[in-house]
Amino acid sequence: MGQDAFEITINTAKMLVIFLLMVQLVPVLVWIERRGSAFIQSRLGPNRVGPLGLTQLLADAVKFLQKEEFLPEHGQGLIFYAAPVMALIPAALAFASIPLSAPIHINPFLWNGHKFGPYDFEFQSFHFGVGIVYVLGVSSLGAYSLLMAGWGSSNKFSLMGALRASAQTISYELALGLSLVGAIMVFGTFDFSQMIQFQSQPLTSLLGVHMSIPAMNWGIFYQPLGALLYFASTFAETNRLPFDLPEAEGELVAGYHTEYGGLKMLMFYIGEYGHMMVGSALMVTFYFGGYLIPGLTVAQVHSHLATWLHLGANPAAIVTALALHVVFFIKVFFFLWVFVWVRWTLPRFRYDQLMDLGWKTMLPWALANVLLTAGWMLFKGMH
Amino acid sequence: MDLTTILFLVLAFLIITFSAAVVILPNPIYAALSLAVTMISLGFMYFLLQAYFIAGVQLIVYAGAVMVLFVMVLMLFDLRKEIAAFSGSKFSSLLKILCGLFFTGAIIIAIRQGVIALSVSAGEPTPAEQIEMVKNLALRLFTQYVLAFEALGVLLLVVAVGVVAVARSRGGTHAHHN
Repeated sequence: MGQDAFEITINTAKMLVIFLLMVQLVPVLVWIERRGSAFIQSRLGPNRVGPLGLTQLLADAVKFLQKEEFLPEHGQGLIFYAAPVMALIPAALAFASIPLSAPIHINPFLWNGHKFGPYDFEFQSFHFGVGIVYVLGVSSLGAYSLLMAGWGSSNKFSLMGALRASAQTISYELALGLSLVGAIMVFGTFDFSQMIQFQSQPLTSLLGVHMSIPAMNWGIFYQPLGALLYFASTFAETNRLPFDLPEAEGELVAGYHTEYGGLKMLMFYIGEYGHMMVGSALMVTFYFGGYLIPGLTVAQVHSHLATWLHLGANPAAIVTALALHVVFFIKVFFFLWVFVWVRWTLPRFRYDQLMDLGWKTMLPWALANVLLTAGWMLFKGMH
Repeated sequence: MDLTTILFLVLAFLIITFSAAVVILPNPIYAALSLAVTMISLGFMYFLLQAYFIAGVQLIVYAGAVMVLFVMVLMLFDLRKEIAAFSGSKFSSLLKILCGLFFTGAIIIAIRQGVIALSVSAGEPTPAEQIEMVKNLALRLFTQYVLAFEALGVLLLVVAVGVVAVARSRGGTHAHHN
């Protein structure tokens, strides 16, 4: 955790703040989803409560709190109540291990007559060397909540939704994992921080054209096919349209969460949006340079900010991390917007089309991507 | 007691309780869920033992595998009948207790005979060291133990082909209309 009380306090607070950040972004995302869908369908969307309808979400939260609490007649109480909690945990655990900004290096300083430091704070709750393996492992637990919800509700629609969800998750996890393997081979590491370090090198050539752009060595230039396959399978893993068959409202009422209401349904929402955030954050970290600004290295950002704002090294490090954090979230929000965009643009697949796409198209292409990458790396003599 | 010891005790309690529950619970759904909790706790136990890669793989592989088991239970069992079938007669109960005692004895002998390394390493490995460990593992798997590794792959392929052959669809959306 840390070497002294200061570091332990900061690290503990960091865990709490990052968890709250994830949970608090969900209402914003719901607002984006509702306003975005309205924009796409030439409607206005929620615009009455507060500026741009932003406090609609607060009103919704109050409404959720007042909903009736009930258990279906033949429902399995334990499983029924555990399922929404299980929906929340995997997304929160996975999100906590993704670096959200540049690490903050604090030089030694005096405070209250005590000498503190030096410290290195990472902008993530915990740092595992096997980052991506941990994230994939933890987020694969998310499907349990759908199965538990489906079984515990004692409702045929819920059960069918849950069965669809489990088959879909298991099928697309393969394509998802394999599409990332190519990028892992290029980076030569599982560790998110090392991946971003790799991407912070200057981009020297692209399609035979020589150039030199600092901090632009992004994964997308090495793995365009992998990025496409990864993003497509994320839609299936998060049960979003066009792969939202577990909750297809035209066929299954609301699928696995048919019997849920109030805060319990809200927790399923937080889980779904949390998985979207993890998916987008991984997309940004793997293929779009994480928190990096194209053309500017982290050290350059640090020195520019220190000169412009007349700051010492320590405050400048904090401001740099915050600025890069904003950059990271601009990128993440772009991909979250693509999630919304696709949801209101594409129609739903039929179930056999979904399975065919997963097993007969995405999986072979992901395998081919791994082979191509391996051959290319052998040819180039990388690693 | 430091934090590691407390976490170890909690995880050990969870693993033992829920693996006992897998055997004892009459309802197959709850048994499958208990197995899931056992596997997940085991995964976190690996984290505690600083075997991060194995921990991640444990979560990925077993979470998926137990889920398939869960779905099988849901789809193949007629739960009302099977619950009755699971609680056996006096003879089978005796057999179960004897089996349990036999395995307990075997485990005790194994523990007393075997050499167990209890100290893992000094201090927690840094992320860079963890990556080095994974690289070592991968190099070993693809050089020294490549034959065993590939043989396992072939074995799994045979199982997958066998499953498809047995369960091949004779109707439904993928049927061939000849």
